[in-house]
Amino acid sequence: MKAKRSSNHNVIETYDLTKVYSMGETEVHALQGVDVRVEMGEFIALMGPSGSGKSTLMHLLGCLDTPTAGTYVLEGQDVSALSNDERARMRNKHIGFVFQTFNLLSRISALENVALPLLYRREAEEALQRANIALSRVGLDERTTHRPAELSGGERQRVAIARALAINPALILADEPTGNLDSATGTTIMHLLRSLNEEGRTVVLVTHDAQVADYAHRKLQMCDGRMV
Amino acid sequence: MSFLNTLRTALRGITMNKLRAALTALGIIIGVASVITTLALGNGARNAVEEKFRHLGSDEIQISSKQTIEDGGLVPFGEILSYEDGLLMPGEVELIDRTELSVQGEGKVRHGRQVLDMPIVGLTADALLDAAEQGQVQPVAWPEGEPLHLEAFIDHGRVFTTEEVLIQADVCVLGYQTADDLFEGDEPVGEVIRVNRERCLVIGVIAELETVDPEQRNRSRVNEALYMPISTAIMNLYDEEPSVSIVAHVEDESRMAEAKSQVAAYLRQRHNIEKDSEGEYEDDFSLSTKKDILGAQQEAAQTFSFLLVALAIVSLTVGGIGIMNVMLVSVTERTREIGVRMAVGARQRDIVMQFMLETTLLSAASGLLGIAVGVLIIPLTAILNQGTPVLDPLSIPISFLVALLTGSIFGLYPAIRAASFDPVRALRYE
Repeated sequence: MKAKRSSNHNVIETYDLTKVYSMGETEVHALQGVDVRVEMGEFIALMGPSGSGKSTLMHLLGCLDTPTAGTYVLEGQDVSALSNDERARMRNKHIGFVFQTFNLLSRISALENVALPLLYRREAEEALQRANIALSRVGLDERTTHRPAELSGGERQRVAIARALAINPALILADEPTGNLDSATGTTIMHLLRSLNEEGRTVVLVTHDAQVADYAHRKLQMCDGRMV
Repeated sequence: MSFLNTLRTALRGITMNKLRAALTALGIIIGVASVITTLALGNGARNAVEEKFRHLGSDEIQISSKQTIEDGGLVPFGEILSYEDGLLMPGEVELIDRTELSVQGEGKVRHGRQVLDMPIVGLTADALLDAAEQGQVQPVAWPEGEPLHLEAFIDHGRVFTTEEVLIQADVCVLGYQTADDLFEGDEPVGEVIRVNRERCLVIGVIAELETVDPEQRNRSRVNEALYMPISTAIMNLYDEEPSVSIVAHVEDESRMAEAKSQVAAYLRQRHNIEKDSEGEYEDDFSLSTKKDILGAQQEAAQTFSFLLVALAIVSLTVGGIGIMNVMLVSVTERTREIGVRMAVGARQRDIVMQFMLETTLLSAASGLLGIAVGVLIIPLTAILNQGTPVLDPLSIPISFLVALLTGSIFGLYPAIRAASFDPVRALRYE
């Protein structure tokens, strides 16, 4: 499975991206006009203290939420004002998530977890085959039938990465991927992400750990809802 | 997601917590089982009533004396129905063609040294013929479907005639077993026996009979009887005049109602019944036709059906609320899972489908189990003595569909709730 490697177009372009949460009387300005460009094949680290707005930005970039104002263009398509189902389709097609807490479904095997996004595409025939390829890419050929509870933390995160890979995404969005792992395992995971990037995959890494951020080509620092 | 995969996901959802699924299903199982059982009981009760009055022809009016309870026993309410009341009716009532009269008593029957206490039936000649045609009994091993005729009921000899009834002839006809008991193989016809000390000539023997209904064969002793003209029976068996059962035949079936009021008027005149202060007759007899009885039965059946529908609605609603409650808990517990599914591309309708399918599967399984339980306990309900309960074949698909519908209705809200989760919050849910 090779990533698309056409001209160096922008996977992500945001213009004056703003997010305001209303909490009763008070309004929280989580994002106050963020402009970000991420080129294809880049490895970006999004950094900042908690409350800086980096999680909010990640949710918007992952099409999990919609901006209050501003524009977000993903793979050339304006996704700022899509409906729930249209955003689900964009996530399914373009975005591979890697979460701090892995977020695997506990009742199904590693293979089925990896195949899950493909099943929502109605590509059931190919799903298991592609899931197998993705699992072998992260070195888990032997663990396909295991359930998450039967895997170590590092293995679980590799399953999650395989799940992200299986859809051949335009963007891998990793939110503190090493946060729940010991440092040795964390290093393995970061090596894996780096090698995926070297194969041409675009990776956006959200972290507050400077050491982890060092794997990225470019660091974006956030503070109080703005890029600094 | 394809239907098959959604189905697998839904099945996993159910089997994840088997005890909870079983408890959820219980409401629906009980609901469906009770519907199936009560329907079968209703069927049984209806069959029993129909069977009981099957012999009553549609051209007949059954007339009986009213009774009342006094000093702990049944006594006549007014004047009893007399032999004369019945005998004179066809002549006096325009629409009545003929009447059949009967009395039933006990007596001592003696031949030689053999003495038997046994039921003695006094009849008009027509009544004996009708008894044969009523279809409650048949000669032993009578081929099914073969029409019955009077000759088949007579082993040998003959039955008494209307003339013999009118002149109180001392003649009788013996049941098959009775003939054997009294004569021990000797020929009874032409012999004289004593019925309560009065001499009586045996003129015929009834063929060996059995009830048409195989279930009643062990209990009934249809071959132990002695039949004699009703006039002779009244003379020989009773100290005072007995109450006679009368069946009046109406010439024209379309004028049953009219015939009934004519009979009532005739009996009121004979029993000197006047209107009371409220302008009502306080009759000492009751008239019933097949239509009356079946009509009353239908009314009862309708009331029963309403009760049944109410019962079904209550138990299935309770079952449905149980499902909704459990599904709401399940949806909350699986918030994180829903978030993950949404993150990897599940649309709202995929989530709705997943949870709807789960409740539908659960209620379908409960429905099937309920049907099985219902069918299994139907035989046990026979002890309620409402007739043999009969499974209504339609009740199976109907109760299954209702169970499905209940699951779908009560599963809809939890499913929609699950689909409306915000993926960001769902992913963070602890």
